[in-house]
Amino acid sequence: MRALVVDDSGTMRTIIKRGLSLLNVTDVVDAEDGAVALKLFQSGEFDLILSDWNMPNMDGLEFLQNVRGMNETIPFVMITTEAERSRVVSAIQAGVSDYIVKPFTVDVLKAKLDRWVPAAT
Amino acid sequence: MVTKHHTPDRKLALGTYSKHAPLLHFPVIEFPTGSYAMTTTSQTSRLTAAIVNPLMGSTRDVFTMMLGCEPVRESLTLRNSKVPAYDLSAVIGITGGATGTVVFSVARQTALNIVERMLGMKVEEVNADVLDAVGEITNMIAGSAKAKFASLNLSISTPNIISGSNHEIHYPTSIQPICLNYQSDVGKFCLEAGFAPA
Repeated sequence: MRALVVDDSGTMRTIIKRGLSLLNVTDVVDAEDGAVALKLFQSGEFDLILSDWNMPNMDGLEFLQNVRGMNETIPFVMITTEAERSRVVSAIQAGVSDYIVKPFTVDVLKAKLDRWVPAAT
Repeated sequence: MVTKHHTPDRKLALGTYSKHAPLLHFPVIEFPTGSYAMTTTSQTSRLTAAIVNPLMGSTRDVFTMMLGCEPVRESLTLRNSKVPAYDLSAVIGITGGATGTVVFSVARQTALNIVERMLGMKVEEVNADVLDAVGEITNMIAGSAKAKFASLNLSISTPNIISGSNHEIHYPTSIQPICLNYQSDVGKFCLEAGFAPA
């Protein structure tokens, strides 16, 4: 399977990719914002998307809305500090598959990803 | 005084709080003062006091979950110096129903230790990875705290990092910022915050 990791923090991209590697997902492409990620998504095939919300150029919600306009089924997990109910509702309405609130432990990250990796393979 | 400004692609200019603002380089960070003319010091002090507990909670959560250590708060004081406690500061602006600033100030060695904990790699000097990691810790602290104030519909900027001994950070004159000093396994750090009604 192939995953797309989107976060403007290189540190977070590394941590998320490390979580994926624990589940033997090593074919990972990363992007620093939604705009870059959208181009990658349009030009390649992916099985799973993990995205931050607050990013320059195009945020995670807009990226999600664009992805859902093209693909209604690909698992899309939002990993963000945006924990307010209204933000979560907005993401759900846009078609998010799951939600991980920062900060998180490695165990939480692995458990959440474990739920979606089998679905994506 | 030697002040260096690190503005990687994801960092924003201070004072605008806009995610899409152009990158600017300020020797000293100045915040607008005019918009606070109708607010009273007591209002801003109450608001700043209200954010203290959520900030302490989010700091504990971020350090425990992301760095594997529990920070110990050594003091809570009013901030009366323009110079942050340590040489490296990550600054995040908050806008919405309230306007404010959160500053995460660390010693260089603390910053290096943070990267080692987050990425599992030893670094010897402050580089882009260090700035990114310190910025992300600050983002999580401020982001988690703001989630406790859903009714204010707050938004946070991406962090801007400033380094150099005796660098200055200025708040609006109507705001009395507070300073939380901590000790932790990765070293000492200080969290500053100051807020005013929008």
